[in-house]
Amino acid sequence: MRLGMKIPSMLKDNDIDVMDVADELTGVLTPPLQKFQSSTILKLILGFCWYLLHLVVSIVHMASCLNQLLLSCIISTGLLSKYQNLQLDNLKCLAIVVDSEEARDTTKIKQLLCWLSSINIQHITLYDMQGVLKKAIANDLKSLTSMTVRPCSDDDAQTISSQFKMDKMTIEILSFSDGKEGIGKAASFLCSKYIRGDFVSCNRSEPTFEESEVTSALKAIGYGGPEPELLLVYGPARCHLGFPAWRLRYTEIVHMGSLRSMNYGAVVKAIYDFSKKHQNYGK
Amino acid sequence: MLSTVHTAFPLNHQKPYSAHLCSLSSRGIIANTSLLLTPTRPRSSPSLCAALPTDASSAAAATVREESEEGAALPSLLRQGPLPKHVAIIMDGSSRWARARGMPSSFGHEAGHRALKKIVELSGRWGVRALTVYAFSSENWTRPEAEVDFLMMLFESVLKGSLGDFMKDEISVSIIGDITELPQSLQKLAKEVVDMTKKNTKLDVLVAISYSGRRELKRACQNIAQKVKHGLLAPEDITESHIEQELETNHIEFPHPDLLIRTSGELRVSNFLLWQLAYTELFFTKTYWPDFGEEDYVEALHSFQSRQRRFGQRLN
Repeated sequence: MRLGMKIPSMLKDNDIDVMDVADELTGVLTPPLQKFQSSTILKLILGFCWYLLHLVVSIVHMASCLNQLLLSCIISTGLLSKYQNLQLDNLKCLAIVVDSEEARDTTKIKQLLCWLSSINIQHITLYDMQGVLKKAIANDLKSLTSMTVRPCSDDDAQTISSQFKMDKMTIEILSFSDGKEGIGKAASFLCSKYIRGDFVSCNRSEPTFEESEVTSALKAIGYGGPEPELLLVYGPARCHLGFPAWRLRYTEIVHMGSLRSMNYGAVVKAIYDFSKKHQNYGK
Repeated sequence: MLSTVHTAFPLNHQKPYSAHLCSLSSRGIIANTSLLLTPTRPRSSPSLCAALPTDASSAAAATVREESEEGAALPSLLRQGPLPKHVAIIMDGSSRWARARGMPSSFGHEAGHRALKKIVELSGRWGVRALTVYAFSSENWTRPEAEVDFLMMLFESVLKGSLGDFMKDEISVSIIGDITELPQSLQKLAKEVVDMTKKNTKLDVLVAISYSGRRELKRACQNIAQKVKHGLLAPEDITESHIEQELETNHIEFPHPDLLIRTSGELRVSNFLLWQLAYTELFFTKTYWPDFGEEDYVEALHSFQSRQRRFGQRLN
């Protein structure tokens, strides 16, 4: 009886053992499989979300560029009245910095000057680092305007800055030599005056200069000029490429992109946006 | 490279601290941060390290290890190109940020201080070697007296409270500007912090306080005139390199910023580092300074990397 009872129980036990092992094997193998499937699906989902996000950002960026382009075109057509009557009370001098490579396209430069003349900008300062504009534009402007050359007879006529007076507009052309080099020469001028005893500060134990004296020194040696209220940068780099540092204290700097893709609407918008600016000057 | 011009600090700025707190609690006052001055601290160049004997090469290996650790800490977006060695920041917009929330300006500047702390930490972690921040301009002295006094007090409290962090994070702190215009107590504290941090080499933090770019150039001319007076230099031999040597940023390894960031949407440099910014990439963001965090910093640095690849040759 006990054996008979035992065999079924043994069989049952074996079944139970097999079942247990099977259950254990299933319990061991199934989670990794499920985990693998879950992680793969998760990665696919995350990857999809990442590309979707990139797509959204790209679309937004493209839409923004198109919007700006469209606005520039509309401004150019003259449909928006607020861009037609620009308030230029705060814009006495506009500076243009051009990448030297792009400055070789003198047609674009002249077109830009014509636009600015039509907007009634009174003083324009053109700058490129290597002096390409001085060589390329100066000769053309000489034939169109009455030329006033800065009194630096010892310098090469191709590299000195030049001022050209048109009917309503003065055009000044600068290069790297008018920047840091100019301040170095101003320091030399100041020191020479100090040695000669031309300053009130000569009686003090240490030499002291005022900022106005530095400004006067720059003017005396032919490196003076107005501080531009607005500076437009054309070129790949968003920096002013060594524009005379003394004149950049409170200048608004706007990067306009490549000279090749310049358009009238963008110039007008930049000037309009400037006219709406308010500066506290640190107060 | 402090100015030797001694400007007596007005007596009416020497008010009791408690009186300032009372006057300022009734108004909204701006807060800001400041740092200190350090003497010249030369640093070895990579080429020099390569030529050194083996015991020095272990130091170079340590440098490489540090750099690899910094690279590991970089966000993935910034691993594709070189980071700027020197970043300059015009921290603008704290007051407007506070006003937009209906809070006094002091609230904005406290938040601005936290933002600065975060950016300093990130700069050190990511391998930026110099960080110059525009804390207080010479034009800011024209602000209401109570506001200025509060700022001076805040500078002192921040200096005292942050010294431990400067030492822990190996930050060398410098001030550029005319510190003779600061309260005597702040001048003394500033000099102490400068002395204590001058041997730190991981990150140079320069804070422009009572600073003017034009005044810096003017003082460079004065220093050169001093040399001329003593016969060390002839006036006709003066060049722009002599100006360069007299600038207040000349004592650090990377004196010219590679990237300038200005927050709050303004598009000008406001008399900041006029000489040094000649070839600096300019990044203007509409974000107010207290909101400028890691993501904005990554965006600015990534923008620099993108532009760096397109930019042509520069004059040195």
